[in-house]
Order: sequence, then structure tokens, then C-alpha cells
Amino acid sequence: MSALLHTICEMSIAALGATSAGAGTGASTALSTAAASLGAGPVPVAHGILPALVRPDLAWAGWIIGLPAISAIICGLCCALRIRNKLPALSTVVSFAVAFAMVLWLYRTLDPAQPVVIPLFEWIAFAWGDGPRHDLGGHFALYVDQLTLLWMLFVTGLGTLIAIYASEYMESDVGKGYARFFFGVSIFIVAMASLVMADNLVFLYLGWEGVGLASYLLIGYYYTKPSAVAAAKKAFIMNRVGDLGLAIGIFLIWTNYGSVEYSALFQAIQSVGDPAGGWDASLIPFCLMLGAFGKSAQLPLYVWLPDAMEGPTPVSALIHAATMVTAGVYLIARMYPLFMLHPDALATVAWIGGLTALLAATIGMAQYDIKRIFAYSTVSQLGYMFLGLGVGSTFGACYHTFTHAFFKALLFLASGAIMHGFAGQLDLRRLSGLRRVPGFTIVSWTMLIGCLWLAAFPFSAGFFSKDEILAAAMFDPHHGQPILAWMGLATAGLTSYYTFRVWFRVCAGPVMFVPGDDQHDPHDPHDPHGQHDQHDPHDAAHDDHAHGSNAAHAADAHGGHGGHGVASASAAGAAHGHGGLVAHAGSGFHPHAPRFAINGVLLALAIGAVLAGLPTYLVLSGQASENWIASMVGHSSAALGVPHAEGAGDAAHAHPHMLGMDGHTAMFVLSTIVGLTGIAIAWFLHLGNRRFADRLRGSMLRRGWIRWLPTAMEHKWYVDEIYHACFRMPAWVGGHLMHFLDRHFIDGLLVNGAGRIPPLLGRLFQPLYNGVLQGYATTMAGAVALILAWIVWKWVAGGAA
Amino acid sequence: MSIGVMLLALPILTMIAVIASPEKSAKWIAFGGSSLVFLLSVIWAVQFPGWHTGAFWPDEPGAGVMTRFGVSLQLGVDSVSMMLILLTTFLTPLAILGSFKSITTREREYYGWFLVLLAAMQLAFMSRDAILFYVGYEFTLAPMFFLISIWGGPERRAAGIKFFLFTFLGSVITLAAIVYVAVQAFEATGVWSFRIADLVAFANDPDVGLTSAQQYWVFGALMAGFAVKTPFFPVHTWLPLAHDQAPTGGSVILAGTLLKLGTYGAYRIAVPMAPDGGVALCTFFAVLCLLAIINMALVCWVQRDVKKLIAYSSVSHMGFAMLGLFSFNMIGVEGSVMYMINHGLSTGALFLCIGMIYERYHTKDMEELGGLAKRMPVWAFFMVFFTLSSVGLPGLNGFVGEFLCLFGAYTAAHDAATGYPGVLGPWFAVIGAIGLIVGAMYLLIMLGKLVWGPLREPHAHGHAHEPIKDLGFREIAILTPLAAACLWIGLQPSPMLRAIVPSAKGVLVNYPAAVERYHAERAASQLGSTLVKSNDDAATKEPLP
Repeated sequence: MSALLHTICEMSIAALGATSAGAGTGASTALSTAAASLGAGPVPVAHGILPALVRPDLAWAGWIIGLPAISAIICGLCCALRIRNKLPALSTVVSFAVAFAMVLWLYRTLDPAQPVVIPLFEWIAFAWGDGPRHDLGGHFALYVDQLTLLWMLFVTGLGTLIAIYASEYMESDVGKGYARFFFGVSIFIVAMASLVMADNLVFLYLGWEGVGLASYLLIGYYYTKPSAVAAAKKAFIMNRVGDLGLAIGIFLIWTNYGSVEYSALFQAIQSVGDPAGGWDASLIPFCLMLGAFGKSAQLPLYVWLPDAMEGPTPVSALIHAATMVTAGVYLIARMYPLFMLHPDALATVAWIGGLTALLAATIGMAQYDIKRIFAYSTVSQLGYMFLGLGVGSTFGACYHTFTHAFFKALLFLASGAIMHGFAGQLDLRRLSGLRRVPGFTIVSWTMLIGCLWLAAFPFSAGFFSKDEILAAAMFDPHHGQPILAWMGLATAGLTSYYTFRVWFRVCAGPVMFVPGDDQHDPHDPHDPHGQHDQHDPHDAAHDDHAHGSNAAHAADAHGGHGGHGVASASAAGAAHGHGGLVAHAGSGFHPHAPRFAINGVLLALAIGAVLAGLPTYLVLSGQASENWIASMVGHSSAALGVPHAEGAGDAAHAHPHMLGMDGHTAMFVLSTIVGLTGIAIAWFLHLGNRRFADRLRGSMLRRGWIRWLPTAMEHKWYVDEIYHACFRMPAWVGGHLMHFLDRHFIDGLLVNGAGRIPPLLGRLFQPLYNGVLQGYATTMAGAVALILAWIVWKWVAGGAA
Repeated sequence: MSIGVMLLALPILTMIAVIASPEKSAKWIAFGGSSLVFLLSVIWAVQFPGWHTGAFWPDEPGAGVMTRFGVSLQLGVDSVSMMLILLTTFLTPLAILGSFKSITTREREYYGWFLVLLAAMQLAFMSRDAILFYVGYEFTLAPMFFLISIWGGPERRAAGIKFFLFTFLGSVITLAAIVYVAVQAFEATGVWSFRIADLVAFANDPDVGLTSAQQYWVFGALMAGFAVKTPFFPVHTWLPLAHDQAPTGGSVILAGTLLKLGTYGAYRIAVPMAPDGGVALCTFFAVLCLLAIINMALVCWVQRDVKKLIAYSSVSHMGFAMLGLFSFNMIGVEGSVMYMINHGLSTGALFLCIGMIYERYHTKDMEELGGLAKRMPVWAFFMVFFTLSSVGLPGLNGFVGEFLCLFGAYTAAHDAATGYPGVLGPWFAVIGAIGLIVGAMYLLIMLGKLVWGPLREPHAHGHAHEPIKDLGFREIAILTPLAAACLWIGLQPSPMLRAIVPSAKGVLVNYPAAVERYHAERAASQLGSTLVKSNDDAATKEPLP
């Protein structure tokens, strides 16, 4: 067995080498000279990125953005005209699919090493003179290189699949919010495509805020529900904090390099490097980082993402798991040449990523709401991607983004199918054994694939991509952070535990389920909830699991729902691990099994998740000489000066060793051990002996010295409360204070006070005008005396001079 | 008769027709007349040859009045004033249309004053003579005063008087500064002239022009009036009250174009006339802008009355516009002009939206109203749209101005690489950019209360005999052109940006030298103090030979 393992490890190392070699040879000669210069010492700026070729003839690529925009307009019209059919879904799916085909066509036809600029039309663009820094070039133009295409492939591809899924998932809203939903999704793809394909940072900023808008609209889709509205607001504002960083980063880049257009910018960086080493130039990556952390939900700005699960599940899958949240990874990968100039910035990215991964995993372990668990796992996996970027493995980061997009979308869509089928139930204590429930077989087994991939089970795509990142963290000669690699390994263990906690609880074990509060069955016309149009069907469900994951169940795992007679019995049943089969019999509830669109998309995504590992499988089996994702990353701006994507010799002659084994073998063994341990613990606690898990939890809560741990984890380490106390309260108090000052000091005292002066003066002189003749005479005499005195004084003063 | 004169005459003629007409048809005549004015202005804009030259058109001396003092009726526009005229003529018919339901008493007077206001604002934007500008500038006060104090809310008298006195006092100081410069020019050259171009040319004359100390005071005095009108932070308190009490149409015009007279005055008169003063004082004014941006945003946050919230947000937003202007470089000034126009569109539209709510529920209190998306989805769409435009979402108009203003402030450091060295710098932009966050906060909180969430209606109207209806055709017809304009500017600002460039170049022509002088003086004074110090040291250490 170990011999076999060893062989495989050797192969994977060879694959790594081959990967690097492939990228190196595939690139231009300039790139290889860069690689040569990179071999030794600190990383200089390499001459790696070719100037972009302007290709106006490819202007049709603008329809990749334009078609979803047209679809958004159609959806908007459907909304305005109150069209009650599935036309919005149709237009969305078709436009996304055509956009995907166009991206594929671009990928097939373009020369990989040659970035292309496709001008469309002008936006915020003007010039006030000739020469550098005398114009601002915020054009609507596309910059297409391999990194762009990699992102666009999964954005449009997954977008299409998820739109198909949503066409069935949202069908109970046809005629209500259906068109609005697809309007939001279309706007999202427009914005995301702008973000990824932009040729300059100002256009990127448009996409950046545009995806924020789409996210705002879709999280707040159930807008009558206060928690959804609050979550939407929170997401937008948290993102705005990040956008502030991005905006200032853009200003800094323009002042330092004189352009916001990528091509000119990269050339400027390559020729100038760090301009004069000014403090403001070294701030650039930190500003961009803030933007990336906001959008990609990293410390300290991650708190909006778990709340964003208030949105419909397809939205969670598309925006808050697979695509939008990877925009931060894209930004840093795109601007990697700037980050390479500042090793401190890279180290910061790595540390933030590593810490976020760990923190989010600990929170995810203690949540009960399936979607929230996956939300925290998204935060955690994004942390891995940033860790990869920070330790110089842009390939690892991008590969992980790619694989993660598939398996995380799969997991969300599977949990959405469960939620759809069980009236909004998402509490993992109230669902069990779904793989034996008729109609949920495909859901369960595809979810297993997603879980395996997320838990980085050996030889899954998630395993390869995560391993790439951890190996780089451990061994990279320039940027490696071994401490973070160990932390990443520990996080991997936690990840596989909480992932399989979900699967063993929900899909395995005895059959038991409690429907959610939303007992709405679309096929049952007598259902009173069915006609209740004030509430959207998922409202109640969300309310329920909002409680479930929060304080309501923190104290008592056995806590049943008072409202359901049957439900409380079966909740107790769940806790004791028996009686489940009886439970659903009396309730009269029939799970609403997913139909063709949902099952089909789940299968397609499962296949996609498996195929995401294909680049590595091909290399391992010797079918391909290079990982094509590595070569894509290697041909983009993300590769400038990255040791991994270049110099075949780099990895080879470094030959790191660890634990008496070759370094990569050791990593392989370690991650396998850690991952399997996590799964085993999850199996024991959540499938083999569920009562023991509850007893363990109860005993932990009873003991004062350890009680803080599960409590704090369930309360998400109180980060929301801390933010509230540190930022929101002071601002709120400040607002009231300022308003008070404004009304009573500035307006009341100063303005109105000044306004009182004329009447006061008038009152002062009023006695002079009392209407009595003697009074006027006195006044006149006084005035004459005053004038005389003044003249005399002037005369005396003048005489003295 | 040129179209410019027709643009001034037609509102007055329409006003006479409105006064003479029966009460019922007054609003239609006013709407028709103002729409005709809009059409005329569009024709004028199409004819306008100066979009890319920065030259004034028509460039004629104009008939003299009070020839002894050189006051003339010189009318002419450049690209920036043309844009502001278009904004005015675009907003006025919409504001009139928006008043159809809410104004039920003394309609003839109401629409008559509206048309006078239109004429006065156009006069201010069109005049090339400082006195003529001042006449138009001040003449807007009277109609607005009556609009507020006759058709306003319960505190309308106080609001009207405060509005009138506050802005009047400020602009008297501005007038004094204009007269001072003219007198100086007369003493130096022996010719009386109040033409803005002549005054600017004189003030910047290196031989006989104003000294930098004079410019300091001239700039300060000119800005006194413009700062009240804009309004700047500590002198803004008339605005929330005026907006709160004004009728919807009055608020739209007040926020949409009347405030722009302040920024336009600064752009057209204060900034070019006294560059040394501008450079010396811009830090002071920029700090006021930042205070306005952050402070007023916080104040917005705690408002209960949604109209007051938008009013305070105007103060905050105009802070951005002035911050851009005072960065004295092309990006900032471009942003400032764009901000003037965009703020007019989106805030005007927001006031219209709120007016529609007020007409239905007779309250603007966000504690009583909520979740209106359920009741009025079409209204909710427009409200969200214009709020997002006000938040500065890229792709809509608000972003262009906001981004460029901050960009301008950022690049206004002492660095000649842009051709326009500046006095402000990164910190001004960074602090101003915090306004982006706080601005998003209060506007989204407003949306969260008013548009989203469970439906809340005042009790009196929850079970009213007449159910609350969504927007009707007239209201959609008001908001749609505004939304289209917001979207169009958001996606295609570059023609406007290009048109502003030559005009802004003219405004800033003396600034690079002034900034250099300013920095040189500061360096010299620092150097001087160190020199004096070292001399002192030398004197104490070794005796003179």
C-alpha cells in the first residue's frame, strides 16, 4: 500500500515539475529569461507580459456582456408587464449559454501567450493634454488573456447551469418575483463579466460595484423579511468598505504609474518597477487587498457572507459560493505584478488567508444550518485561495478557485434541493437518512461527491488544488510560510470534519425528517399557506433556520419546536437516534422531490466537479505533459515573476525534505491522514454514535472551563457583536450628537442667535423713539455732542501727527 | 432675436399667460410653456458651436445699461453653463408636472412664481456680466421665498424667512467683492467694466492686478455668498428647514438647480478671479467640505423624516462637488461639474419620489411608513434606482462625479505631473472616501425602512376608503425621463467630460502658477525662519568681526 502511495507521490511531483516546465516553455522567450533571472535571490521584476494586441475585429466579444444585459432588459420588461410565465428564465439561460459558447470560442481561437485588448466604446475617458498623466482612460474595453478566460469559463458555465436549476427552484414565484429574480441574476453576470473582462481598473470598478448591487438585490429578494433586508444592507456596506480600498488603490496606481489600463500598467511596472520607492506606491497592494478582502469575505470583512444566505439558494450557489466571492482572488491574481514588488503585502495576504480559513472552519463546525455551514466553508476555502496567492502559488489559488466553484455550487444546489423538498428545513438535526427517501437519491449521492471534494479526499480535484497551495506554503523558497502550511493542514482536518458532519447527519443514518415551518406544498390546493401571498414561500423557512442556528438552540440541543406536535417528537427522535421512521408518517407531509432540471444540474455539476480534476489526472496518467490550468495561469499577468509557473528547475533543485520523506510526499501523506481523521471523527460522532455526540456536547457545556469554546463557536466568536459595539454604536451615537449640535448649536445658538441681534439692537435704541418731544430733543443733542466729540478728537489726533 | 433671449423672455411671457388664464388651466399653460423652453434650450444646445472650444457663444459685447459704470447685458454660454441651462430647463417642466396634484390653492401664483424662477436661474447661468449674474442670482430668492412661505408646510414662514435672509446676507458680501474688484480695475485702467472676463483678466494681471493679499480677501468674500448657497457646512442650516417645508416642486428646483448657482458662481467667478486667494484658502474650504461630507452623512443616519434626510444628504453631496473644484486640477473640476449635474438629476428625482409618497400618506416619517415595495412596486423601482444613483453606483450618473471628485482631490498633491499641481492631497480624498461608506449606509438604511421590509402604513390610511394606488401615468412620465438621463450619463459621460475640458482649462489657466507661487512662498517662509534661526545662532556663538 505504502509503495503504491509512494509511486503516486512521485508521479504528482513529476506532475508539478512538468507543470512548471510546460508553463515555462509555452510562454514567450521573455518569460524564460525572466525565469532565469528569478532563479536566484530576491524576485526582480520580470519582463513577462507582452504588450496587448488591439483587436477591434473581436468586438463581438462585447456581447458576452451585452447578451446578459439584454436578458436583464427582457426580465425587467417581464417585471413591468407582469408576465406570468417562465420567459425570464428562458432568456437568462439562453443568453448565458450563448455567452459561454462565445467564451469557449475565444479560448479556442486566441493565442495563449498574447493578451488581447478589444475596444468597445468610451466611458469615463478624457484627456487634457499630451503626455503621461494627462488623460484618464476608463474605457469600455476588454482585456482578454488566459486568466480572464479561465474565470469567464466557469462564470458563464456555472451561470448557465445555475440559471437552469433556478428555473425550477423558483417556480413557485412565477408571476411574483420570478422576473425580478432573473433580472438580478442577469445583472450579476453582466457585472461579473465586466469585472473579469475589463481592460482597466475603472471598468473593473464598475463590475466590482455591480456585482455588489446584484448581490444586494438578490440577498434582499424576500424583501418583506427584515432579516433578508438587513443581510442585504450589510453585504453592500461591508463591500463598500472594501470598495473604498479599491478606489484609493486606483488613484494610487494612476498617480504612480500614469495609467489605469492593464496593458500600459503592466508595461510601466515592468519598466519602472517600484517608482522611487515612495510610501504611497508601497501602499497600493494593501489598498487593493482591502477591496479583495471585502468582496471575497476575508478577515476582517467576512461577516456579510454567512448572512447573505438569506437569499434564494441558487443565488447563494452562484454569487456567494462559486463566482462573485472569487473576485478578490481574481483582483490579486490580475494585479500580481504589483504584489510581487512588495513581499510584505504578499505575506499579509497569506496570513489573512490562513487565519480566515482557520477561523471560519471553527465557526462552521458549530453551526446547525446546512447553508450556513457551507457559507462558512466558503469563507474558509477562500482563505485557502488567498493563502495560495500570498505564498506565491497563483496556480494553486486559481486552480482551487476553479475546483471550488464546481463542488461548492454543487453543495449549495444540493442543500437547496433539500430545502425545496422539505419545506425550507435546513437544520441538520431535523433531517436524516435522506439517501433512502424516494427522489432524493441523486441529491444525496451528488452531495457526497461535493462533500468529498470539499473535504479534500485523496485524488479528488479539491485535494489536488488544496495540496498545491499547502505545498507552496510549506516549501516555496521565496514566499513560503511553513506556519501557515501547518495551520492550513489543521484547517483541512476541521473542514473534512464539518463537511461530513453534514453528510452523515443529513444523508446517512435512519430516515427521519421534520418539514420546515413552511409547510407549503405547491400541489396541495387546500393548504392555507398556499394562498398566503403576503409571505413568500421561503419566508417562514428562513425564519426557522435563523433561529435554529442562533441562540435558540445554543443552550439545549434537544429543544423541540413547540409549534409542531409531530415535529417536536421527531426532533427528540433525532436527538436520540431512533424513532425517525415513525416520525414522518403521521405528519402527512410529503417531501417535494426535485425534478428534471434540479437533478440534471446536480448531475452535471457532479460530473463537472470530477472533471475539474482532469487536468491533474491527465498529468498523473502521463496523458498530458502539463496541467492546462497551470499553463493558463502561467500565460497571464498572474504569472509575472512567480517561481512556480516558471523555471522548471526551481522546484526540482530545491528538493525540500520533511519527516524523512520527500517534501511533497510528506505533504500528500499528511493531508491524507488529516482529512481521513476528520471524516472518521465525523463518522463516529454523527453517524456511528449520535447520542455520544450529544452527551459530549452537553458535558462540555456543563463544565465551566471549557464551556466558552462551543458557545463562542456557535455565536461565531461574537464578531458581529464586537463590530456592532466598535463601529456601529459609535457612529450612531456620533450621528445623534452631530444632529443635536447641528440643530441646537449651529442653527439654534449661532444662526438664530445672530438673527436675534437686530431685534435686540432695535430694543436697545427703542427708548430713544418714545414719541415724547423732549426725548427726541435729548437724542438730537446727544448725537450732535457725539459728532462734535468725534471731530474734535480727529482734529486733536491729526494735530498731534 | 437669439434663442438665448427667447429663453429668458418665454418664461416671462408664459407667466403673464398663466396669471391671465383661469385657475384650472394654469398648470397646463405653465407646463406647456416650460416644455417649450426646454425644447428651445435643446435647439440652442444643438446650435451651440462651443462644445469643444471652451469659447463663449454668442460672443457679443451686449447692450450697455448704466453705461457710466460699464454694466452691460452681455449674454453668452460656454459648455458648462450650457449644461446647467439644460439641467434647469429639463427639471422645471418635470417639477411643474410633479406639482399638479399637490398644489391646490392659488395655482396661478404658484406656477407664475415657478416661471419667474426659471427665468432668473437662466439669467444667472447665461450672463457674462457680474452685475447681471448677481441680478439673476438674487432674483431667484424672491420666487423661492414665496414658493416656500405660501405653499410650504406648517413652519413655512420661518423656513422662508431663514432661507431668504441667510442667502441674501451671504450674497451681499459677494456683491461687495465684485464691486471692489471693479473699482480696483477702474482705478488701475480708468475703464469701468463689470464683465466677468474683464474683471478676471484685470485681477490676474501681473502688473496692475490684485496682490495676493487682496486676492485672499476677494476670494473669501466671493465665496461667502456662494458658500451659503452651495451650502457649506456651518452655513447650511437654512437648507434642511427650507427643504422640509417647501412643496415638492420647490424642493426639486431648490436641490436640483438653485444650489448649483453656488457652485457655478464659484466655478465661474470666484475661482478664476482670485487664484492666489483660492490656493491659499482651498485647504480651509476643503476641510469644511470634509466636515460636510462626514458630519452630514452621520446626521442623515439619524433622521426620521425622509425629506430632511435627503436634504442633509444634499449638503453632504455638495461637499464632494466643492472638494473636486478646490483640487484645482482637471480631474477634480471635471468631477465637480459632473457632480453638479448629477446631483441635480438624482436628488431632484428623489424629492419627486418622496413627494409622491407625501401626496398619498401625508407623512414623511420613516417610523410610520415602511415596506412600500409591497404596495407600490413601480414607485419602489424608481426610488431604488435614484437612491442607487445617489449612492454613486458605477453605471449610473452619480458615480462619475463622485469618483472624479475624489480622484481629483487625491491627485491634487504638489506634483506637476498632471500639469496641474495642487494643494490638497491624498488625505483629503481618503477622508472624503469614507463618505462613500457612510453615504451608502444612510441611503440603504433609508431604503431598508421605506421600501423594503414588512408593509407599514399610517393607521389613518391603512383602511382608508380609498386604497393607496401605485404610480399613475403622469408620475411615471415624470420619473422616466430622469431615470433615462441618469442611466445615459452613467454609461456615456465621455462626451460631457470632453466638453467640460476646454471650459475648465479656461477656469484653471492661472492656477499652476499660483500654486507654484504658494509653495514657493511657503518654502521661502520656512527657509526664512530657519535662516533667521541660524543667524541668531551664529550671532550668539561668534561675535561679528
